[in-house]
Parts: sequence; C-alpha cells; structure tokens
Amino acid sequence: MTHARVQRQLSALLDNELTADEAQELRAHLETCARCREELERLQGLKRLLGAVQDRTPPAQLWDDLRRRVDAPAPGAVAGLLETIRAAFRRPALATAAAAVVLMLVAFPLVRGRIDRLRAAEIGPDLFVREHALAAATDPFADRAYLGLLVSDVNLVLIGERRERGEELR
Amino acid sequence: MTARALVIAVCAAVLVAATPVRGQDQPVLLASADAATVIRAVLTAPTLVDYEGTKILTALRGQRAETVTILESYKRSGKLRLEFLSPESASGRLIVDDGASSWHYEPSRHIVMRGPSFVTAQPAVDPAVILSRYDAMVLGNEQVIGRQTVVLSLQPRGGGLVKRLWVDQATGVVLRTEERDPSGELLFSSLFSRISYSLNLPSALFRFHLPAGARIFSFYVSGDPITDPQELSRQAKFALRAPIVLAGLRFRSGTVARHGALTAVTAQYTDGVGVVSVFQTPASRMAMPEGATVALRGMQGRWLDLGYFRILMWQSGGVSFAVIGTLPLHTLITIAEELNAAAR
Repeated sequence: MTHARVQRQLSALLDNELTADEAQELRAHLETCARCREELERLQGLKRLLGAVQDRTPPAQLWDDLRRRVDAPAPGAVAGLLETIRAAFRRPALATAAAAVVLMLVAFPLVRGRIDRLRAAEIGPDLFVREHALAAATDPFADRAYLGLLVSDVNLVLIGERRERGEELR
Repeated sequence: MTARALVIAVCAAVLVAATPVRGQDQPVLLASADAATVIRAVLTAPTLVDYEGTKILTALRGQRAETVTILESYKRSGKLRLEFLSPESASGRLIVDDGASSWHYEPSRHIVMRGPSFVTAQPAVDPAVILSRYDAMVLGNEQVIGRQTVVLSLQPRGGGLVKRLWVDQATGVVLRTEERDPSGELLFSSLFSRISYSLNLPSALFRFHLPAGARIFSFYVSGDPITDPQELSRQAKFALRAPIVLAGLRFRSGTVARHGALTAVTAQYTDGVGVVSVFQTPASRMAMPEGATVALRGMQGRWLDLGYFRILMWQSGGVSFAVIGTLPLHTLITIAEELNAAAR
C-alpha cells in the first residue's frame, strides 16, 4: 500500500465510506506508519473544526434573489469584465498589485523609449561626427573601414555605452 | 595530342597564370600611367574587384593616435564586412553593410545597432572634377606587401588633408594611404598587411545574422536627403541658412532630424569630392562643449579638434551652428563668416 493511496483513503475512512476490507487494510497500515497517523489526526482536527461551525438559516429572500438573477439575461463580455474589475477592487491588495503591473507594462517602454530618443537626440559633437562620417562615405578616397569605426563608436556614445579606449591609445 | 599542340597549351597556361588579377575585368597595369589613369582605376575598382584582407589603421583621435586592426571583406558593389581584431576595447566588434543597411554588433554589450549603409552612397565622380580640385601627381612605383603599386599624391587646391595613395597596379585597389594636414602632421594611415583578390566571397558573408537575445537599436537619426535648399528651409521650421554656394563649395543635400521637440538640420556642401557638413538648430538645443575659443567677425566660436575631424561651433541670430570636416581651421572660419553674412 503506497502512502499516496493511503492519504487519498484517509478522508474516506473518516466519513465511513470505505468497505470493511479496505478499512481493515488501512488500519493495519496506520499501526505501522507514523506519518499516515499524523495525517489522519490532521484530517480529524479539520473535521472537528468544520463540525463546530454552526448552521445558519439562509435569509428568506435568498431564493427569490437567486431566481431573479437566474432569469435575468446573461451579461455581455464587457459587463463581465467590468464586474471582474469591480470584484478585484473590492480586494485592495489585489487591486494594488494589478495597478502596479499595468503601470509597469505601460510606463516602462515609454520611459525606456524616451531615454533612447533623448540620448539619440543629443545635438552635439557626437551627433555631428556620426552624420558627417556617413556623409563623407561618398568621398571616393575615404576609408570606409575607418568611417565605420567612427560611426559605430559614436553610436555607442549616443546610447550611453561609450567604448573605453584609455591605455590602448598611445 | 602532338608535341606542338602540347607546347602551345603549356605556353597558354603560363600566360594565363602570369596575368595579374583584376576581378572579372581586363587587367590594368598602372606602372607608367598618368595621374588621371590612376584616379580612374581607383574609382572603378570597387565595381570590379572583390577582396579580403587584414588592414591596420592608425588615426589621430584627440591628441593621441589609435591603432586598429580589422579583417576587411569587400564584395562588388558595395557590400562590406569588418571584423575588429584589436585593440581589446573593439575586439570582436562586427560591422556588416549589406548595401541597404549597416549592422554593428558589439559583443561586450550584446547589442546591435542598425543604421543606413555607408558603402553604397557612392555617386559617380568624374576624374576631371577631382583633377580640377586637387593637384594630382604620380610620385613613382613602390612595393607594398609584395605587390607593385603606383604612388599617387593628391593635394587639395582649396586646402585640406594631403593624401598619398599606394594603388595596386593590377587591381586599382588602394593598399596603403596616408593623410596629412597642411603642416605635415600625419592624421590617418591605413595599410593592408595581407590581401586576397577574386575569392568569390559568398553573399551570406554580407548578411547580418542577429545574435540570440541581443538588444537592437535603430539609428536612422535623420530623415531622407533633401536636395533643394528651399525645401530644406521649409521643413526646418526655423530661420535656416542654406546658401547654394558656401566658400566655393556647392550645396549637395540636407536632412532634418526630429526627436520630439528637438530639431536639427544638416546641410552638406561638396567640392565634388570631399564633404563639409553644416548643422543648425535653435540656439539652446545644441551642446557647446569645451574647446578653444575662436574669434569670428563680431562674435566668438568654439573650435574642437577631434584629430581626423574638426568642428567649429558658434551661435548667431538665435541659431546654433556647427561646421565639421577635415578642412583646416581657416577654411571653417570662412564658412562660418559667410553663413553669418547670409543672415544680414
């Protein structure tokens, strides 16, 4: 008998839903297995707790309300979505988390795009070198390998990733 | 096969093997050519010759020289692949220009930057225009990496960098260059330490393959070229100065770059060979970095010597200006004064 099978049968044992043979087999296993006994005690405690909950008489108008809602036409997709959102906002923690996710999804690309555009838009010597190097490629005596190096170096600067040359210069 | 036929076949094979390489075109032998012929060979080589080689560049950047080693592959017409071997800070960098776009992969940052092609923008240049702008002279013949070259000197009549080119006599490819400012200081040099021709380089070598997970930046900063100065002024939406002729150079084209509220206009002027770029933008929007102060007529400018390129910046009439090129300072000052005079 495996633990997985025993644990599936423990709840049935408590509810007297096992056959006599199954119950006997299970009890034999419980005598030798401390882990399954603990699980049985946990389920017994849970059952006691649920048993202590008092029954409440439903309000008199509950059935009338239910019938009215069942008879009402089904809400559309938009109404359903709105109801889901309303339900979410009735739970502040969930609403806050959802708002944060939406804010990140919307704001991050905007902020990131803005940073890229601003860097690219810095109108100064780096931009001049880039644009001029591209224009100078029409000179038949220009060295395109060198112009390519200049343009790629400046591109790195414009996105904020300047190449460190330092000690390699001489 | 008879003995006579065999001798003829062997002779033919020897002749074919001895023929200098010139891509798929007839060979040119420039050993005793004049400057115009050498220039013509240089201009047509990119349409005739494929090559792959290792190139060493040394350029003045700021006040110091930087040496860069590149594996350069070129395929007709206008496809270029550059793999940077050194220095360490650029090692592994890859630039692929497929003729439509250029792709730059920076492995240390795992980023890709895409921009316009800088190889195909090659208007047909008439050798006569070059000869009218430069004093061109053949200085003699020299060997470079075991290949016979003809040495060509080009001295711009309007001032600027003096070029010396070592042109492969068989292919027209420039194997070595030197560019010096008028004072004789070496600003740029390049040298192929190894080169192979007619390799039938595969097209796949010039197609960029995006590395998995790399971030891409598109760098088409400017709009399309505008060839009419009036149309450029109209699109700039501020008082643009774009004369047709500036210090003897002719307006070629301009572009408008917009980033939200920021607008910058670039106008290019050319002598038919080299290019000077003029940037204009509403005054407060242009960075004015530190640099030497230069007196312009009635105002001050800033002069930034980047080594190969030089920039002169100033403000006038609510507009910031920058002129950039390889020209000497006095020529840039002439351009600035003509632009200022154009507003009066």
